[in-house]
Amino acid sequence: MDIMLLLESALNGALVGLMYSLVAMGIVLIYKSSSVPNLAQGAMVMLAGYVILAFANQLNLPLWVAIPLGIVTMFIIGVGIERVALRRLAGRPIIMILMMTLGIEIFLRAGSMTIWGGTSRPLPIGISDAPLFLGPLLINRAYAVGAGVAVAMFVLLVLFFRTRIGVVLRAISDDYTAAWSVGISVERGVALSWAISAVVATIAAVLWGSVQGVDQSLALLLLKGVTVAVLGGLDSIGGALLAGILLGIVEGLASIVLDPLLGGASRELVDAAMLILTIMLRPHGLFGRHDIERV
Amino acid sequence: MTENTIEEVLTLNNVEVVYDYVSLAIKGVSLVVPKGGMVALLGANGAGKSTTLKSISGLLAAERGEVRRGEVKFQDQNISGLMPQDRVKLGIAHVLEGRRVFEHLTPDENLIAASAVRSRHDAARNKDRVYSYFPRLFERRGSAAGYLSGGEQQMLAIGRALMTQPKLLMLDEPSLGLAPFLVAEIFQILSRINREEGLSVLLVEQNAIAALEIVSHGYLIESGRIVMHDTAEALKKNPDIQEFYLGGAENKNFRDIKHYRRRKRWLT
Repeated sequence: MDIMLLLESALNGALVGLMYSLVAMGIVLIYKSSSVPNLAQGAMVMLAGYVILAFANQLNLPLWVAIPLGIVTMFIIGVGIERVALRRLAGRPIIMILMMTLGIEIFLRAGSMTIWGGTSRPLPIGISDAPLFLGPLLINRAYAVGAGVAVAMFVLLVLFFRTRIGVVLRAISDDYTAAWSVGISVERGVALSWAISAVVATIAAVLWGSVQGVDQSLALLLLKGVTVAVLGGLDSIGGALLAGILLGIVEGLASIVLDPLLGGASRELVDAAMLILTIMLRPHGLFGRHDIERV
Repeated sequence: MTENTIEEVLTLNNVEVVYDYVSLAIKGVSLVVPKGGMVALLGANGAGKSTTLKSISGLLAAERGEVRRGEVKFQDQNISGLMPQDRVKLGIAHVLEGRRVFEHLTPDENLIAASAVRSRHDAARNKDRVYSYFPRLFERRGSAAGYLSGGEQQMLAIGRALMTQPKLLMLDEPSLGLAPFLVAEIFQILSRINREEGLSVLLVEQNAIAALEIVSHGYLIESGRIVMHDTAEALKKNPDIQEFYLGGAENKNFRDIKHYRRRKRWLT
C-alpha cells in the first residue's frame, strides 16, 4: 500500500478529528461546569446552522453579519434551555437531567425538520475547494481552517477556566450544595455554561456547515462528539483536543485500510469500538479527572 | 425589640420544616444567637440539627424541604423567602456537614470560588486573612483539595465560609471524624476568630464535651424540638446532659448502669 496515501489520510483525518473536538468541547464545557453529560450538543450544532442560514437567506444579510447574529441568538437559546428545562431539575438525579438533554435533542431535530424541512442547504463561507500542498501531500483547505479554529477555541476555553468565573463553574460541577452554601448562584452558572456551549456549537456549525451543508445530518455529529469527549475524559478540554486528533487519524486510516475489505462503514465501526473500549478499559478517558478517594 | 441589652443576630421563632410536603423534620424550633456570641446546638443523630441550619442558610429547597411555619430572622430581617446566595450576601455562612470541599479544585481555587458574592479586592484580602488563620492551608494551596487530610479539609471548609465575610458562621459537626487534638486546634481557632472579629457562631455538634468548652450558651434538640436551653456552665453540670451527652459521670461502674431506670427529665 502506498505510504503516501496513508500519511495523507492520517493527516486529513487528524484535521477532521480536530473539527470533531469542536463538538466535543461543547459537551466537555457543560460537563466540566455542571456534571451534566449533554446529549443535545449535536442538535445544537444543527440548530445553529439553521439559525445562521435563516439570518442569511430569509433576511438577506451577508454571512459576516449572520454569523455574529447566530452566535448571539444561540447564546440566548442556551440561557433559555437552562431556565425552561433544567432549573427545576437542579439537585435531582443525574439520570433525569440526562434524559432531559436527550429530550431537547429530539425536540430540536423535530422542530427544525418542521420549520426548515429535510433538504440540505449550503453554507458557503468562502474557503476555496483547491487543496493545500504540504510537500507531496494534499490537504483539504476547509479541514485545515476548521482545525485551526478548534485549536484557537481550545486555548480560549483553557484560559476561561482559569478565570474567576471559570473556577466558580468548576466548583459547581464538584458539589452543587457546597456551591450554594458559599453564595454561588448555581442556576446562573449552569445557564452560562449552556450559553457558552451553544456559542461553541455555533462555531462548529459554521465550519461543518461549510463542509457538508446544513441539514439533519449535522445532529449526528453528536456521536463523534460523545466518542471524542469520552475518550479524552469528559471534563478535560485538552483531552477532547487530543482525543479528536486520535479518533480522526484512526478513522482516516481505517477508511483506507478497512473500507476495501469491509465494503464501507468502517469509520462508524471504529468510532463505536473506540467508545466501547474506552468505557470498558479506561472509564475516565485519557485525561479525565479521577474520583478522589483518600485512604 | 424589648429593652434587652443583648442584640440578636439570629432569631428562630417556632420554625417548622417539612420534607416532601409530608415528613416533619423539626417541630417548632426557637433559638437566639446574640451578636458576637457563640452558641451550640447539641443533639443526637437525626434530632434535626442539620435541618435547623439549612432552614437558616436556605439549603432546604435543594432537598425538597421547606419552612412551613415560623420565622427565621437575621438582624431583624425576615429571610424566609430569600435565595441561598442572597442570605450569604447578608452575612450567613454555613459550613456543611462532612466538609464538602470542592475536591478537584486546589485550596486556593476553593477560596476564590467562595468569594463569588464579594468583590475581587475583598477576595484577595480575605484570602490572606484565611491563610493567616490556617497557615497549613497556605502550604497545601496548590494540590487538589480532595487529597488534603480530614483536618485540613475542615480548615478549608471553614476558610471557604470566611471568604464570604460572614456575620454569622454556622458549623455543622466540624469535629466529625477528626482526631481530638485536631478538634481542639480547630475549636481554638474558632474562638479566636469569634474573639478578634466579633463573628457570631452557631455550632452544631454531637461532641458536646468539646462544644461546651468554647460556647457561652447551648440548646439541646431532640426529635425536632428544643428541649433545653441554658448557659454552657449549667449544661455541663446538668445530670441528664452528663448522662446522655457527656458520657456519664466519672468513676462509674458500667455494670450497674440500668438504662431503663433513668428517664430523661424533660420527657414528662
